[in-house]
Amino acid sequence: MTATATGPVRAATTEGASRLRPNEIWRIVRLHAVNPSIFFGVPAMVLGGAWAITMVIALILLGSGVPMENTGFRYSWAVLSPQWYLIVVGVQAVSYTFPFALGFGATRRDYWLGTGLMFVLASVLYALAIATLLLIERATGGWGIGAGMFDALWYVGGDWATAFYSTFALQLLVLFIGAGVTTVFMRWRMKGMLTLAAGAMALILGVIALLTFTESWEPLGDWLGSIGVVGVFSLLLLTALAWAGAGFLVIRRATPR
Amino acid sequence: MTTTVARARGLVKRYGSFTAIDGIDLTLEEGRIYGLLGRNGAGKTTIMQLLTGQIFPNGGELEVFGRAPAEHAEVLRRLCFIAEAQRYPEDFTPAHVLTSAPWFFEHWDAAFAERLVADFRLPLKRRIKKLSRGQLSAVGVIVGLASRAPLTFFDEPYLGLDAVARQIFYDRLLEDYAEHPRTIVLSTHLIDEVANLLEHVILIDRGRILLDSDADDVRGSATTVAGPSTAVERFVADRPVIGREAIGGLASATIDGRLDRADRLRAAELGLELAPVSLQQLIVHLTGTELAGAPEKEVAA
Repeated sequence: MTATATGPVRAATTEGASRLRPNEIWRIVRLHAVNPSIFFGVPAMVLGGAWAITMVIALILLGSGVPMENTGFRYSWAVLSPQWYLIVVGVQAVSYTFPFALGFGATRRDYWLGTGLMFVLASVLYALAIATLLLIERATGGWGIGAGMFDALWYVGGDWATAFYSTFALQLLVLFIGAGVTTVFMRWRMKGMLTLAAGAMALILGVIALLTFTESWEPLGDWLGSIGVVGVFSLLLLTALAWAGAGFLVIRRATPR
Repeated sequence: MTTTVARARGLVKRYGSFTAIDGIDLTLEEGRIYGLLGRNGAGKTTIMQLLTGQIFPNGGELEVFGRAPAEHAEVLRRLCFIAEAQRYPEDFTPAHVLTSAPWFFEHWDAAFAERLVADFRLPLKRRIKKLSRGQLSAVGVIVGLASRAPLTFFDEPYLGLDAVARQIFYDRLLEDYAEHPRTIVLSTHLIDEVANLLEHVILIDRGRILLDSDADDVRGSATTVAGPSTAVERFVADRPVIGREAIGGLASATIDGRLDRADRLRAAELGLELAPVSLQQLIVHLTGTELAGAPEKEVAA
């Protein structure tokens, strides 16, 4: 059932046997990982850098005698520091790696499925790391000095599973937005990007107008509160999947440069 | 017994109002080396992008290994096309390219690739962005040769390569082609450099095919006669002349078409010298001032 036989096997023997080509998809994952600094090295460095800065700030606060309860670390955005870089990773996956994969004889379909699989695997890894670091931070009382990098924002008071799920959803969304927007550029160039930007603006203004005129801001806030952290991040996960689906449709006719 | 690997009929590619490929017909047979020749912007890379399914045609028919190439994995796995302006993943090095190549080319020969890296003195750990033009061409040449893909494209493989490296490419290609016959399409505007390598010549200009013929036929298809102006004029009188030059009382004229034995005797009687026209000269005549009607004449390096 695989289309992966070595040697000059006739195409006809593999054709139609399976629409899913595991090897063709997996090799795209390997292509993304062959230079591990892109998906793993740099995000780890960014996170490590943010952690080091948090430690220094905590030491300064400790030295100046600020009581641990008043440090305000729970409002720190340091845990989100790799997000900006990961948008760029999503963009480059399509702007650089996609033309290269086409040159190596990959189909657009297999390229997008492999890239999506890579995004899922990377997001699982980041989510495992952040949820686990959160527990370590709590267990060590803020790395021994009352510092708080991971126990911040919506992570405060959440358990390991919630931290894992919310991080996973957010990472996947960020990667798929970067890649999805770039597929529009690869297919329709500048005209497509301008249309997309104008459309997004119109949509946002329309939603704001709708909510304002129907006086629905408060009910919306209440509803978001009622579905909780897991509910909100489920919405993000659905958005990520929508981008993944849209990107697939767009990239099927995209052309490099 | 020849097998057709690619066939195009009335193929059209437009970019807005610009027609890059204007209804071409072409056929590629198994086990031949094709030269895709033409000036800059003639449409060479566009044809290769169409044949490899990287871009979609606006009209006409295209079959590669029996199917439209775009999005057909069983066609694409037999192709190799590293474009002259190929994009590489962020921070890629030649080492990354060679590590991932075997996942995509089932006939990949790693030992051959290693030998080529040494031949071309390619720095494996340097980032692609930092490579010189010649080293970048070497990456494409190494992948193209070591992939042993049944249909391999070389897009301007000579760009930036020094004389030694060009000779290495020429030698390795012929050696490997003899042992592993396949179809090779080589695009270039440096025509004399590859002239002896080619078995078949496809000349394109402004998106149209001007010439599609066996390289040996092309080589003998034009002759230059030189001597005193009056004698040259008498000899070429009613023949198709595709180029003329004159200095003082001496002149030379390039005649399109073969000369027979009687013609050669007559030229000798008139005291004229006959010289074969190189592929490059012929192509300058075909795509230069005569057809384009432009004042400038291409001086190919």
